Amino acid sequence: MIITSIKLPKDVFELTAIPFVQFIPSFTTWYNEVVVGWPETSKALFNSTIIGLGSAALAVFIGSIAGYAITRFQFQRWKNIDIITWFFSLRILPPISLVIPYYALMRSLNLLDTQLSVILIHSVFFLPYAVLVTFSAFKAIPPEVEEAALVDGASRFQVFRMIALRMISPVLAAVFVLILAFSWNEYLVAFILTSKNAIPMTVHIGATTTTIGVSFDLASVRQILAFTPTFIMALFIQKHIAHGLTLGAVRG
Amino acid sequence: MISIRRFQRGTFFLLPSVIFVLAITLFPLGYALYTSFTNAKFGSPDVEIVGVRNYAYPLYDYRFYNSISVTILFSTIAPLVQIWFGVALALLMMREFKYRNVVRALLLFPMFTSEIAVALMGAVLFYEGGGGPTNGILKLLGLPEVGWRSNPPTAFWTLILVDTWQWTPFAYIITLAGLQALPKDMVEAALVDGASKLRIFRHITLPFLAPVLLTIYFFRLVDTLRLFEIPFTMFGGGGPGITTETLTVYIYKTAFRGFFFGEAAAQSFIFLIIVLAVTILLVRKVRRFYA
Repeated sequence: MIITSIKLPKDVFELTAIPFVQFIPSFTTWYNEVVVGWPETSKALFNSTIIGLGSAALAVFIGSIAGYAITRFQFQRWKNIDIITWFFSLRILPPISLVIPYYALMRSLNLLDTQLSVILIHSVFFLPYAVLVTFSAFKAIPPEVEEAALVDGASRFQVFRMIALRMISPVLAAVFVLILAFSWNEYLVAFILTSKNAIPMTVHIGATTTTIGVSFDLASVRQILAFTPTFIMALFIQKHIAHGLTLGAVRG
Repeated sequence: MISIRRFQRGTFFLLPSVIFVLAITLFPLGYALYTSFTNAKFGSPDVEIVGVRNYAYPLYDYRFYNSISVTILFSTIAPLVQIWFGVALALLMMREFKYRNVVRALLLFPMFTSEIAVALMGAVLFYEGGGGPTNGILKLLGLPEVGWRSNPPTAFWTLILVDTWQWTPFAYIITLAGLQALPKDMVEAALVDGASKLRIFRHITLPFLAPVLLTIYFFRLVDTLRLFEIPFTMFGGGGPGITTETLTVYIYKTAFRGFFFGEAAAQSFIFLIIVLAVTILLVRKVRRFYA
């Protein structure tokens, strides 16, 4: 199975080669995609980057605040574990059930085909990761340091920002990258909400499917362009992946 | 904890996420619920409330039942296969060998590929005309060619195969994390007592991994239930015929091919109820990890 992944670049050049590995390498498709089609491809890469960075930043920003709240405060009306379950349940929600209302919502807000619309939806979809992973990271740091700072007159938010966040910064970075990669790879929502100006790389790949079939050559080049960054990102956060993917349930 | 008396401050911290999430999930859910009781159609201005009609339609639609059975069958088999391979891979990767770190890193590759790319890659690999690589290899070996994507029973298994290729690494990396936490002295003690490797795996490793495996199953279940890109793109909208038409594909077709938004919304809710019913039992167990 790993072999097939290594074989992929070869599909790019020759699909009709029999039997598959025998082919004449040619960079025509690469040329078509990277030079001729560059305005569109670069735009898609740019959109993917903006959407990925935007949703990761938004999710990590508000998610870490919430994660901190569940760790350090005891809530009365709803118990902390209920709040956790509620965030967790967002991970279960199937996107297909929500895409129609999202389409209607973004149309009425005049946000269709903008990067912002996709950012908003993605950041909610991936918010559980930010909340729960930071939650389990905050839980691991001893509260004494923070208490000392509180006694010295620091506000809760200062403690959060200056002490707690700094102590979990590696985890924070890992979650950020994870969400960035997820958002980069997400297709359905982006496909429904964008049509021309804001299409990210996944939709650009999907666009090789036409009524007369799939342009596999173009698709392969785009796939390589699309997965290289996520794969590199994944390498950087290797240590945290197991922890992150299970929303902090399994320690890496 | 010091924080009990400062409970309002905590609410203040929690508020941004809660408001944000409610705005982006609750409103659409409410809207979808409303739509599901109307005859809304794309581009049609007059929307009437038609009651529960949209919920009754699917009950008379064999394609709906088909999509449910495809989805449930797929979500039952695929995670189990992936856990099986994942555990095997993780055990293999626990051994010391040259370039282990490189192999470990490469194993992550499929998981971080977008599903749409995997779908198109699968379409290339299992291409059945001249030059399709998988059939090409089979031909070289003198084996009969297989209708990977065109033969109805095979297509379903191809779907499982592709999903397994992509998500075995998920099962693997989490099992690996679990294995690394396995207390070594227990295994050593068992070895001293003369236990065989198989018995150690069966009586020490496996019980120790059980909660981890359950977590993997849970996440894979949730994700296989919602799988969309591969049956939709690789199998041309759930083909051949409707063999790989999962519920997600079926709903998508109702909404964006037929443009029956009302019906699609009703189907979405039935789907949501199925997903909740299936996962609610598991959530309790997984939730224990956070307590």
